[in-house]
Amino acid sequence: MRLHEIERGDGLFNRLLIGFISLVSRMRLPDAARVAFYHKEFFSSPMGAWTQAAMRGPSPWSVSERELMAALVAKWNSCAFCVGAHGAVAAKEMQRTAVDAALVDFRAAPISERLKATLVFLEILTLRPMELTAEDARAVLHAGVKPEALEDAIAVGAVFSIVTRYADALDFAVPTANEFNRAASLLLKRGYAS
Amino acid sequence: MTTNRHDHRTLAEALRRRVLDGPGRTDRATRQAMAERAAGGPAIDAPFDDLARQIGASAAEVTDEQVARVLRSTGSEKAAFEVIAAAALGADLLRWQQGIKALDEATDALA
Repeated sequence: MRLHEIERGDGLFNRLLIGFISLVSRMRLPDAARVAFYHKEFFSSPMGAWTQAAMRGPSPWSVSERELMAALVAKWNSCAFCVGAHGAVAAKEMQRTAVDAALVDFRAAPISERLKATLVFLEILTLRPMELTAEDARAVLHAGVKPEALEDAIAVGAVFSIVTRYADALDFAVPTANEFNRAASLLLKRGYAS
Repeated sequence: MTTNRHDHRTLAEALRRRVLDGPGRTDRATRQAMAERAAGGPAIDAPFDDLARQIGASAAEVTDEQVARVLRSTGSEKAAFEVIAAAALGADLLRWQQGIKALDEATDALA
């Protein structure tokens, strides 16, 4: 973590809270959660509200499908922390083998055609946003995805591009696979609102 | 909370307004310049230019020194966090807008 105040917490209450959660969960509180406690009114509150809506709000996409989208956005942005974190949450409600296959090549993975078509759109959005056209959106709609569902997916893509960008700029510590798995259970249960 | 189209657009705008237009430890102009630069906009003053451009192009390649220079210039970790958040937001609000524009054009043509 490049900004040490985020790691230790700003203010006595947050320092105690970070220490308490780490103690109870018997693992170092992941840096993403530390950011959620930091300078809250400026960033974490409005960011958490949009993230919670995108990832846990009502949607035609299941929670695991949205978590897989997040993991792939992280892969395209080369963010090891977010690939691990969101791949682990996706694998709570989806076969781990399907998650791993999608992270290698989503086009060949055992996932739905509507999800594959949406991931094609999100890949362009993430890597070459200025090349995205209405034709790309029409291809997703023709695959059976409703406009509202595509908008939900665009929100997931945008939110997780933001997350991956500050995770890497701040140099989040990457937990072990076991820690990711334990943190995923908490993220599944508690969501993202800060 | 529902996730209809109006809600995502409102939530994205609320985030943009708070981080780029709201009060903070840094001035709004610096945060807005970081956001624009990370989205491919014009060069800004050192040491902010280097960090904003890198966050927009490939945040995985940001270095300790790039962040340290901005920290020295802003004088506090909260201020450095604000400009990092602004850059990340700028790069990806561009993506949000591009995605919505493509979707709206596709659905308008169907209407």
